[in-house]
Amino acid sequence: MKRPARRRMPGKGKETLIAWLIMLPGIVLFAFFLWEPLLESMRMSLYHTKNVELLEFVGFDNFISVFNKADFIQALINTFSYTFWSLLIGFLLPIFIAFVIGETARSKGFFRTAAYLPNILPGLAVIILWTAFFSAEKSGVVNILLSKLGIAPKAYLSQAGYVIPIIVLVATWKGAGATALIYMASMAGINPELYEAAALDGAGIFKRVRHIMLPAIFKLGSTLLILQIISIFQIMYEPMVLTRGGPDNASLSLMLLMWRYAFGGSMDFGKASAVAVIITVILLAFTALYSVVNRRKTDWE
Amino acid sequence: MAKEKNTLPRTGVIREYDIHTPGVKAGLVVIYAICIVMVIVSLFPILWVLLAGFKDLKEYMSSTAILPQSFDFTGYVKTWTQLDIVKNYLNSLYVAAGSVVCALVFNGLLAYGLSILKPKGHKIIHKLVMFSLLMPATISIVPLFMNIQRLGLGGFFTPLWLQCGASAVYVVLFMQFFESIPYSIIEASRIDGCSPLQTFFRIVLPLSKPICVVIAIFAINAAWSDFLLPYLVLGNGPWQTVMVRLFVFSTQQTINYDALMRSVVFSMIPPIILFVVFQKKLTQNIVTAGIKG
Repeated sequence: MKRPARRRMPGKGKETLIAWLIMLPGIVLFAFFLWEPLLESMRMSLYHTKNVELLEFVGFDNFISVFNKADFIQALINTFSYTFWSLLIGFLLPIFIAFVIGETARSKGFFRTAAYLPNILPGLAVIILWTAFFSAEKSGVVNILLSKLGIAPKAYLSQAGYVIPIIVLVATWKGAGATALIYMASMAGINPELYEAAALDGAGIFKRVRHIMLPAIFKLGSTLLILQIISIFQIMYEPMVLTRGGPDNASLSLMLLMWRYAFGGSMDFGKASAVAVIITVILLAFTALYSVVNRRKTDWE
Repeated sequence: MAKEKNTLPRTGVIREYDIHTPGVKAGLVVIYAICIVMVIVSLFPILWVLLAGFKDLKEYMSSTAILPQSFDFTGYVKTWTQLDIVKNYLNSLYVAAGSVVCALVFNGLLAYGLSILKPKGHKIIHKLVMFSLLMPATISIVPLFMNIQRLGLGGFFTPLWLQCGASAVYVVLFMQFFESIPYSIIEASRIDGCSPLQTFFRIVLPLSKPICVVIAIFAINAAWSDFLLPYLVLGNGPWQTVMVRLFVFSTQQTINYDALMRSVVFSMIPPIILFVVFQKKLTQNIVTAGIKG
């Protein structure tokens, strides 16, 4: 079907030009919305800014003054804390959900739909909804439910130790079902003859899970693990609306710190860009890790 | 044979031949119980907010019952008119409609170039797109906002529409699908005298309907749900979307919680309707393509 010879024929110059023209609008949009801003934030991080204007080149001054504020260290620690909790709560749960739904026969479609539903709800609406759930007022559903179990009501969202796990819990409630669906796809792709052959050899259910199912989803799991780290590292909406970074910066993330510098009243875009660059550097490290894992994946195949 | 009819095929680890032992039967009961708990956890908050919307402020703040005292729609009607929801709904619809067009056309054309036309040097763009897949868009929101201000694009939907035309996820989805189209079809249309652009709109795009539907749903949902860039771009102006309104409302100093819960309901209804209508197509495609919205 393929005609590689035709590709190298002379006189293709015009076709190449047309092809580039066809891609041009998309490239321009990518450049405007993603690539140029990324470079621009690196440039801006080296300048003193006033509103949208770059005033003077100050070298690494922005970075130094960002580093020297207590809230930066706090935000950095919190961001790693988010990542830790998100892996603890959010990584294995989708695999478990996928397994459990995969083992059902009747109503499987219904279970799948119900698990996926929270993912389509607007993120902001979900956060406001859960704020009401964890409210310390009489109407707070979590306290009402816990009081039935004899646990005294608490103001969860104003206690430093609780906020990050709660925010991760909310994010997991929204996203776990959708991730589970991806695992389900991978599990459904396992050749049933493998299970049958193993069963004939006397392997019980647990052995089949351990030796057939888990190895089959291992690659996908390692990819999703890194993607999850990358995405939780950018957490911003949730603490912004749920706790406004509080109490006392206990839920402040790096991204939220960036937002505060830029739009929290001071409009200090230079310092905001410095924070953005720091996040970018950390994310680049994760991305490098991701491509290493991806390469290893193709090596195995 | 008769048995086959009323038992659905088992596709997991536990196969038909396992079911006969009591231990496995008990295990299946536990599995169903876990599934039911999961359904409750998924659906209860949504149901709760729907019911909470029927309560007035006094009842909302004092009652610990889940069910409202009466199913009185006056609260919903009041919030609907107070917050001018119709206007915001229409604005959100404009945003969603424009976003779908941009998402399909611009990402589609780029993917067409990268996976079918493959002009000399396309690999650089491909690499950059793959890189953008991992780099978040929000991280450069500050310079992006400045760019938009400099070009005088603030205050209207244009940047929000165009932003959907630069999505690495959609480009990759399109590319995966385009690569499955037999090259002979594209070759044939070229021999028939179609220009590359005509081939895209007459052959490639119509053949890619399944992935177009999925991307359209994702784009509608993303456009409907986003509030950060819309908030920066549209502010308190006349083009506020539902989500921007909700965001502004939720950050006010004194909040009427009953009205807030009702506006949460209003903001959730359109995505839920969209999901119910396209539910099968969406979950099926996620299962086959392995993607998340």
